[in-house]
Parts: sequence; structure tokens; C-alpha cells
Amino acid sequence: MDSAPTISTQGLTRRFGDLVAVDGVDLRVAPGQFFGFLGPNGAGKSTTIKMLTGLLASSSGSIEILGLDLNSHPVEVKRQIGVVPEGMALFGRLTGAEFLSFVGRMYGLDRDTAAKRAAELLEFMQLADQPKKLVTDYSHGMQKKLAMAAAVIHGPKVLFLDEPFEGVDAIAAGTLKSMLQGMIARGATIFLTSHVLEIVERLCSHVAIIHQGRLVAQGSLEELRAGVEAQTPAGSDDGAQASGEKLTLEQIFLRIVGGARRTEQELSWLG
Amino acid sequence: MSSTLHRRSQLTAIANLRWRMFVNGLRSKRGKMELVSRIVVTAAFTLGGLGGFAIATGSSWYFVSQGKAEFLAILLWPIFFFWQVFPVMSTAFTNNPDSSDLLRFPLTYRSYFLIRLAYGFCDPASALGSLSIFGILLGVSVARPLLFPWALLVLLTFALFNLVVMQTVFAWLERWLAQRRTREILGVVFILFMLSFQLIGPMMQRFEKKPRPEFSRAAHIVTQVQAVLPPGLAADAIARASHSEYVVGFTSLLFLATLTMAVGCLLHLRLRAQFRGENLSEAAARPAVEHVQGLQVGWNLPGFSQAVAAVFEKEVRYLARSGPMLLTLIMPIFMLLVFRLGPMNPMRPQGSFFNRAPDMAFPGAAAYALLVLTNLVYNSFGGDSGGIQFFYASPAHFRQIVVGKNLTHASILVANTALAWIAVAYFYGAPRPAVSFATVAGLLFAAPLNFTVGNLLSIYAPRKRDFATFGRQNVSQTTVLASLGVQIVIIGIGVAAFVIARLYHDLWIAAFVFLALAAISIPMYLMVLRRIDSIALQRRETLVAELCRA
Repeated sequence: MDSAPTISTQGLTRRFGDLVAVDGVDLRVAPGQFFGFLGPNGAGKSTTIKMLTGLLASSSGSIEILGLDLNSHPVEVKRQIGVVPEGMALFGRLTGAEFLSFVGRMYGLDRDTAAKRAAELLEFMQLADQPKKLVTDYSHGMQKKLAMAAAVIHGPKVLFLDEPFEGVDAIAAGTLKSMLQGMIARGATIFLTSHVLEIVERLCSHVAIIHQGRLVAQGSLEELRAGVEAQTPAGSDDGAQASGEKLTLEQIFLRIVGGARRTEQELSWLG
Repeated sequence: MSSTLHRRSQLTAIANLRWRMFVNGLRSKRGKMELVSRIVVTAAFTLGGLGGFAIATGSSWYFVSQGKAEFLAILLWPIFFFWQVFPVMSTAFTNNPDSSDLLRFPLTYRSYFLIRLAYGFCDPASALGSLSIFGILLGVSVARPLLFPWALLVLLTFALFNLVVMQTVFAWLERWLAQRRTREILGVVFILFMLSFQLIGPMMQRFEKKPRPEFSRAAHIVTQVQAVLPPGLAADAIARASHSEYVVGFTSLLFLATLTMAVGCLLHLRLRAQFRGENLSEAAARPAVEHVQGLQVGWNLPGFSQAVAAVFEKEVRYLARSGPMLLTLIMPIFMLLVFRLGPMNPMRPQGSFFNRAPDMAFPGAAAYALLVLTNLVYNSFGGDSGGIQFFYASPAHFRQIVVGKNLTHASILVANTALAWIAVAYFYGAPRPAVSFATVAGLLFAAPLNFTVGNLLSIYAPRKRDFATFGRQNVSQTTVLASLGVQIVIIGIGVAAFVIARLYHDLWIAAFVFLALAAISIPMYLMVLRRIDSIALQRRETLVAELCRA
């Protein structure tokens, strides 16, 4: 990777008392990458994304985004990034248009531009037909689309998305994916966490896997696949290599994090 | 496992759940602070409860020993009102467990009903009400020992009636609070009810001592009506037994028990519907299509940044959509009306305090205007809930956000003070320039002090709140005690300044005292504001965790 990374961390660590949630993570995300950040439950994905977006302080280590240190230039960094955090960060008692206009102005857009972009985004996300409806009355999927609209209203160079497709129907997911792919085509960088590995495999060019707070793999899908295949002895359990098929991301993920499934015998009381 | 054992095991598990929630809450520093505050509040309640117990014991002993046991109604009516009104009004002091969360477990309907009653029994109102009822039982038993078994039965029925009514009211309130629209309507109705309640005193004062036959007739009817209502029935049951009229006494008790059963049926209707899994989704009540509006351009605040203006606009929109909050904000004007109604009685030449000291009406109304802002100022991020994450993720400085919020609070204060001036001018005559100046100077001192402490407590002890709901909000007791302390200090200083000024017959003295204090409180506000970014950054995890919790 020759170009200066858009996101880079060095020894990023976060402790909660005795628990080390994120342990010395070194991430490098190049400009224009659609980057998937994966890990089992409790691996440290959300903690990492919260630290990258300034929602959580790191215990040690450094974070650079667009060449700027997050701790010493938080405002400059935040101006250039968009975030859809775990809880979506919505203001329930505003209408969709009011909320987007508010977000735009908080990111420094003038009133007219914020209002114009808010209207365009509501139209694009198919949220414009009930302008008087309060955000609190939106369905979960609508709120997700609104959160995504809010994250992009100021035209960020880097977008952080924590489980953006959770609870979103297929139509809405299609709309969101096309918007994200459009952003990548225009040179933005997207950092995404998701448990839906099929989506990550389809969208992301590069992937990192975190397990028990440590970064255990990082690279393009092909690099990860080659690495796993090199380490796996011939005639392994899933049969993908034997049949000559490419390993899916799910298979790569399970091999890396060691997700051996327990036998049903252990829960023999289950009907 | 038999059904009885199963039920017992479930009830034990729920009791254990409540205990673990309490113990786990103590792990954090904030939890420990809350415990200290809770101990202080419990001590205060215990004192109040013991006072009520003593009054109930002494009075009931006196009534029964004088052969006037029917006067027990005088004690039972306040207990009834306290038991029903206190849980709604004292949101800061009650636990708000959502028992309907338990419905996902295989509870029988009987267990669910019992749990709801048990939750009600743990409410402070039930504890204090029961203590007073026990006081009555003690008083009656000491005066007439033979009455003990009968009084015990009657008072137990009365306590059960109160418990069932309280739970019924809350079960139906939950039904109406489940949807935003009905929630707001209910909030407005509730506040209007409370405002009407405030008028009773002045109206009574206005018409007292006036020999009007229609009022005597009304009083007679009220006495008769109360006798067939639960507190009257309970008093009558004991009184009849004390006069050896056992059959009539038993009829009164039977009637009381029947009323308890009837209210219990209403509770059953509601809980049964909850148990069967009623659907109270918002979507059903929403129109399908609305007219598309034109471009909505945000507000502009000359002299302030876009971020401050955006936060100000957001805050105003939030408040404008909260019926309960809006009604709370007009309270100062209403209170002036309440005070004004009192002294209209020509039989009371002295009238109310403001009638005797009209100079104090404007400062009083302005102080009240500041007081009603307490909920907003001392928990200013409470209404933002998950939105707090956006504030941290956005490039705006935290002090801009805080300034936007304080600007909203200050605007409300200015508007309320201006309206209060007009109302005072209408009710009592225009306040003298010295009074007006002293009041404004007082606000210049008090508002920044309130904002300073409020901003800090909003960050250090935040609690998620719903602007659409009135009552049953989860309030930090640390904040309640701290805000109470600040208000007492401010009011104490204000009263002292005005008293000194009046002693010297020169209200300009108060104005200068307040200006001198403002010269301290304004720089203090600015100093804290300058540090608010780093304070907010230090506290971001607590703030986000508290406000984003489901």
C-alpha cells in the first residue's frame, strides 16, 4: 500500500477495568477502499468504531484519519467524516427534514444548502412522502435510512457505519448499497461493520477481522483467502478446497476466528 | 414442577431480579451517589411518614374516645388523595419498573396480577399511606380496644382499595401513554387538572364567611356524597360499630369491599388485555400520505454560529411539540392569577401576600419563572436520548451545543418574565422601576448560576427523559437534591436582599446587591463554559451510556 492511509491506528487499545476490549490494533485503510471490519460478538468491533469516531476515548495508541491525529484535531477530523453509530443518534421529536437540516448545519453547511440537501436525501431515501411525521414515529428501517442520510449530508470523505443493514428490508438495503457504491466510485472511503458476511463479501474490497480484541487478519479478500488456504491442510472439513471452489468469506472468517461448532450432543435436552 | 411451585419460583426470581438490579446499580460512582441521595430522601420520607402516623394516631384516638368516630373520614380522605396523587406527582422518588416486560416469560395471568399489586405495594405512597392507616388503627384500638378486630378488617379493606385504585390508574395511564398522541393529550389534561386544583384555595378564600345559602346546601350534599365514597364508608363502618350499629357498619364495609372488587375488575380488564398481548403501535394511528412541503430552511440567529442556531431551533421545536412542557412554562402567569383570585374577597381586607406587598409580585413571578425551568436546565441532554452520540460525533464544540440550549432556556425566561411583568401590571399595577430593575438584576445573578450548575449536572448526572410524557420520568435524585439546594440558596439570597432593601425603604439596594452577585455568577458561568468541552469529553462514556440505554 503506497498511498497515505485514510484511516490508520497504531497500538490502539481500550481497557474497561481489567478487561482489554481492544488490544493494540494496527489498522490501515487506504483511500477509496470499502473496508469491512468483522469479528464475533464482543470481539471489539463497536468499541473500535466508537474510538475511531471520537465517541469513546482510547486507553493508549494513536488514531490518524485523513492524516490528522484524532486526539489533537478532533474537530477537523469530525468535519470530514460521517458516522452511523450503533444507536443511530437520532433526535426523535424532529421531522425527517428538520433533523437532516439540523445535522447539516451542525456540520457547517449554510441554511439553504442544508435544507436543499435534506430534501434531496429524503427523496432519495424514499422518506419524503410524510414530511410531518416525527422521527420517533418512523419504523426501524426508516430510521436506519434517515441515520444514513444524516451521515452523508455534508459529503464526508470517510464514512463509518456500524451495522448499517441491521433491520433494513431488501428494498431499503438496495437503496443504501447503491448510494454507498456511488460514494466509493467518487473516491470516498467507507469503514463498515456487519454480521451479515454475504453483504460484506459483496460490497467490501478489503476486510479486517478482530477477535478477542486483537486484529487477527487484514487485507483484500483475495489476500485473506490465500492466507487461509495456505494454512489449511489438504482435505479439511468444509470441502471447498477439495472441490476447487473459492472459500467464501464465511468460511474464511470461521477458520480465522476458530469458530468450531459444538456438537448437538452437548445440548441433548433440546427438542 | 407443580403450578404453585412454578409460580413461587417465578416470583422469587422476579424479587431476585429487582435486588440484583439494585445491587448492580451500585457498581458505578453515580450509582453510589444515587444511593446516598436515596438514603437522604428516604430519611425525609420516614420523618414525614412518622409525622403522619403520629397525627393519625392522636386524631383517631381523640375522635373515637369522644364518640365521634365518623370524623375519621377527615383522616381517611387525605390518605386516599395522597396515595393516589403522590405517585403521579413525585416521579423523582419512585421506581418505575415496567412489569409488562415480564410478559415474555411463561407467567400465569394470576402471577402477573399479583406482581402488579406487589409492585404497587413497594411504592413510597403505599408505604406512607399504610403507615398512616396503621396509626389510625392504633388510635382506634387504644381508645376502644374491643374495636380492634373490626377496625383492622375495615382499614385493611380500605388499604387494599387504595392499592387497587393506584394500580388501576397506572394500568390505564400506561394504556394511554403507550401512544405519543394520547400521551400528549393526557399530559395536557393532567396539567389542566392540576392547575384547576390550584384554584380551589383562592376560590374557597374568596367565598368564605359569605353567608350564602347555596354554599351551605352544597356543603351538605358534599358531606352526604363523601359518606358513600370509600374513605367515608370506611369511617362509617368503624363509627357504626363504635355506636353498636353492627348491621349498618357491616353494610358500609360490604359496600367498600364491593367498590374494591369493582375497581379490581377494571384493573383486571386492563391487565388481561396486556397479558393477551394487545397491539398499541403508533403506525396504526398515522395517516398514510401527507402533502409534501416546500424547502424548509433553518432559523438564523444573528451573532451566533450555525451550530448554536441549529441547536436553538432544535430545542425550540422539541419544546413546542411537548404539550406538557409548554403548559409547565406558562405556570408563572397562572400562579399570579391564583394569588390574585385570593384577595378579591371584600371580607378579607388583608388579602394574600402579594396584595399586602404588591412590590413583591413581579420578583415572585420572575423567581417562579426561573424555578419552572429547573427540569430543563438541570437535565438539558435528557430529551436528546440517543442524539447525544450525534453531538459527540459532530464537529461542533460542546460549548456551542450548551450555549444553544442555554439560549433557549434564557429566551423562555425572558419571555416568561416579560409576560409576568404585564400580568403583574394588570393585576397589581405596574411594578415600580426600582422593583423591575432589581428583579432583572436578580435574574442576571440567578440565571447564570442556575445555568452553570445545571450544565454541570446535565453532564455529570444525566437521565433520559421523554418530552411527551408528564410524570413517571426517571429523575436523578442527585440532581433533584442539588437543584433544590441551589434554588434554596438563590431564593434565600433574593429574599434577604429584598428584606434589607425594604427595611431601608430603598429597593435600589436590592438591585445593586444583585448586580454585585451577577458580577460573580456571570464570569463563573463563562469559566465553566470554557471548560465544558473537556468536561464533556471526560464524561462522554457515562453520558452516552445513560442516554442511549433502551
